[in-house]
Amino acid sequence: MASYWFGEIRGRVCTPCPSHEPEPLSRRLDMLEVDMEEFTPLSWEIARECGYAVSREEYIAVLRALCIFRAENEMARISRQPEQELVHMVRMLDQLDEAANLLMERALEWHAAKDPAFSRKYRQVRGRRAREILSRSEIPVLKAIATEMGHLSDIRSGLSREITLLAGGLLPNCSRLVGGVVAARLLSAAGGLSHMASLPAGSIQVIGARMALFSHLRSGTPPPKHGIIYQHQRVHAAAKDRRGKVSRTLAAKLAIAARIDYYRGQADQAFLESAERAIDRAGGRP
Amino acid sequence: MIWEDGILVSRGEGGVYGERVLRGQRVWNPYRSKLAAYYYRGGDVDIDPSLRVLYLGAAHGTTVSHVADYAETVYAVENAYAPMRDLLAVAARRENIIPLFADATRPNTYAPLVEMVQLLFQDVAHPDQAGIARANSVFLGPGGVAILAIKTRSIDVSRSPRDVVDDTCAALAGSPLTVEKELWLEPYHHDHAILVCKKQA
Repeated sequence: MASYWFGEIRGRVCTPCPSHEPEPLSRRLDMLEVDMEEFTPLSWEIARECGYAVSREEYIAVLRALCIFRAENEMARISRQPEQELVHMVRMLDQLDEAANLLMERALEWHAAKDPAFSRKYRQVRGRRAREILSRSEIPVLKAIATEMGHLSDIRSGLSREITLLAGGLLPNCSRLVGGVVAARLLSAAGGLSHMASLPAGSIQVIGARMALFSHLRSGTPPPKHGIIYQHQRVHAAAKDRRGKVSRTLAAKLAIAARIDYYRGQADQAFLESAERAIDRAGGRP
Repeated sequence: MIWEDGILVSRGEGGVYGERVLRGQRVWNPYRSKLAAYYYRGGDVDIDPSLRVLYLGAAHGTTVSHVADYAETVYAVENAYAPMRDLLAVAARRENIIPLFADATRPNTYAPLVEMVQLLFQDVAHPDQAGIARANSVFLGPGGVAILAIKTRSIDVSRSPRDVVDDTCAALAGSPLTVEKELWLEPYHHDHAILVCKKQA
């Protein structure tokens, strides 16, 4: 027996699908199980002999409508996944930081050029402090930039809160281990929850360290110890000779956490406690 | 293939991706399309108007739109969400493109939809490109041709492109495809080779 999108052939008898509409055709197609070992590719003439289509034009038109319908449906399903939104939110957050930093650097350079007494030595000129300095500037553009940077900063805090909230629901275990924003960045780099859940711990450990990884593979430089997970405080705050171990352990636990998040979708208290203990142990803390 | 003063073109509705138009014909840029580069490097497998084509790794539909200008029907398989949006937009305006949102490593998911084709073109970023070609060779009719764009850096960055292609050829041995010709796409695409294979009749 051979099953095709327009009907079934059993021996010499062909049973065409009663409909030419994309929706019922698509539903029928979802039920089909195809064994590639015994598959013979179809030819449209079978559909004509079957009485399903009178001409090649009609055959292609119905098939095309069906394929476009199926593709659009699947696209709509993906676009509704909240994880896709989370990915875009965290990418926006990172882009905001990058843009704000560049703008601030440029504005401070300009400010310094007009004020010979300005120096960044012995004090941190960042964030609110930098905006205050700029807002007292005599240069109208810098004043305006300072105001806009304030707005950007508000947007950033709001977005960051939203990310933490959404990640807490979508990635309850990963979020508990590394915080919502870092968990969301991992998700964004992995390209989706199902991908992240299928990654081995070693990949999670170096995800986001692409340059270092490829330079290692190509020319044998030392391998990267950590990628995005470096941003987590327990990794970057660990003693230098412990960082590799901490990131290895953390990545191992994240790989498990991602699987629980994907397949169960709930926080697992017992797992989280033992994972936290293991990570602390790796960092040399009792 | 249609050449105008040494420039590869195709005949169809323009404006798909901002391509240049030469005497009413769409310029097919070898730097953007591996298949165009194949023709510039002397490839001789023509796409004639009666051909049905299975195109794996259709991406944004840029090359697909040119293939559709030449061929009778193109079955375009793409697996990624963002390029698929563009592919659907291209397919909406070209009635001989059948877009398939599917994974080329799993031909069973689209097998009931695809008819027997005479040309298979494959341009997928995947470590097992030989395996994908082998699995999809079932759709090729007897004597059909497969043009495989081997992206060596997607198979293994740490090894030389030469060795990767040799391995890919070895992996195709024993499959229904016989490698007839090998061609490199320098200077249009680095570390990309084209393997032209024939399906045993």
